[in-house]
Amino acid sequence: MVPQDYYIALSAILFTIGALGVLIRRNALIIFMSIEMMLNAANLAFVTFANTYQHLNGRIIAFFVIAVAAAEVAVGLALIVAIFKSKHSIDVDQMSSLKG
Amino acid sequence: MSPELILFLVLSLVAIAAAIGMLISPNPVYSALFLVINFSTVAVFYLILGAPFIAMAQITIYAGAIMVLFLFVIMLLGAEKLAPGKVLPYQKPLAIGLAIVLMVESVYAVLARNPSDAEIIVPTEAANSIDAMRDLGIMLFSDYLLPFEVTSILLLVAMIGAIVLTKRAKGEQE
Amino acid sequence: MLLEYLAIAVLIVLATVVALIAIGLGGLFGPKKKTVNKSMPYESGMMPIGPGTRRMPVRYYLIGVLFILFDIEVVFFLPWAIVFRQLGWFGLIEMVVFVAILLVGYVYAWKKGALEWE
Repeated sequence: MVPQDYYIALSAILFTIGALGVLIRRNALIIFMSIEMMLNAANLAFVTFANTYQHLNGRIIAFFVIAVAAAEVAVGLALIVAIFKSKHSIDVDQMSSLKG
Repeated sequence: MSPELILFLVLSLVAIAAAIGMLISPNPVYSALFLVINFSTVAVFYLILGAPFIAMAQITIYAGAIMVLFLFVIMLLGAEKLAPGKVLPYQKPLAIGLAIVLMVESVYAVLARNPSDAEIIVPTEAANSIDAMRDLGIMLFSDYLLPFEVTSILLLVAMIGAIVLTKRAKGEQE
Repeated sequence: MLLEYLAIAVLIVLATVVALIAIGLGGLFGPKKKTVNKSMPYESGMMPIGPGTRRMPVRYYLIGVLFILFDIEVVFFLPWAIVFRQLGWFGLIEMVVFVAILLVGYVYAWKKGALEWE
């Protein structure tokens, strides 16, 4: 038998690695992938709780999170493409045009 | 050790290793492929947790469609050749320190402060049956009616946003 | 119950092993005589010009995005198709509203020429 806490700890570890990716990497694409991984870690926690409480809410929310992530990727990658067209770089440190 | 625990440990090691691989590999293409491994192992976790439909959605949408889109954009931008920009000197140690704080905090909150003695319920045959799927469908289309309809508006907005951002006006040169 | 998935695991392992054998045997038994001509990218062909990884046009991205968004729509159809007899008219109206909203996006993409390959 596997305790529920193991799964929650794994979810926390994956979330932390995702957050670390956002903080360390300067490539906008990698930052975006890290955000996807954080969403995924949250999903894992949702499905784990749905299992231990034997309730479907967690699974349905995980499903909605997947749908929202797809919509987010569609617009986010389009933004990255648009920024690359004007700046010829996807280094997030270069995106400082609005800085006063 | 029970077989479930061994399976969990092996898979979680693969998931964490793939996540770290995504984090440190210099080439975005490798990062994307590591992320596909990570998503696939999480899909196997969903199967173990008795959610086969979510596992299927994870494979088709996340590991399939979304990561293909990522690879598209990496090739679109030729991003694997980009030179690394200059970074703040204290950024990396500070980030690692903050990540350790986050990790300790979440592990403390879950394992030390509020441990639960609940155990993963190994799914029975019923989890794979059409009835389990039926329960999910009934709940999705009755209790979650509004989120479901709002999702369609979200997808519409994403579609329009992507077209507006990437579509060139007619006649404009590349 | 997890044993039901054993077949899929066996399939994955077999596919990997067969692919590795196919790659490995050639390297193991094939003769390796490297000459200048043989190590050219196209033997007795033109010399390639420019880098190997070329940037792709943005058109591909737009088609990919539209595919993903309609992919999500289809995934929502699956649980609906299983329960649509129980839901009756109510479920049908729900799904018609859902599809109608997405149809607006489809019409917009069509009018904007996002589906054309210029």
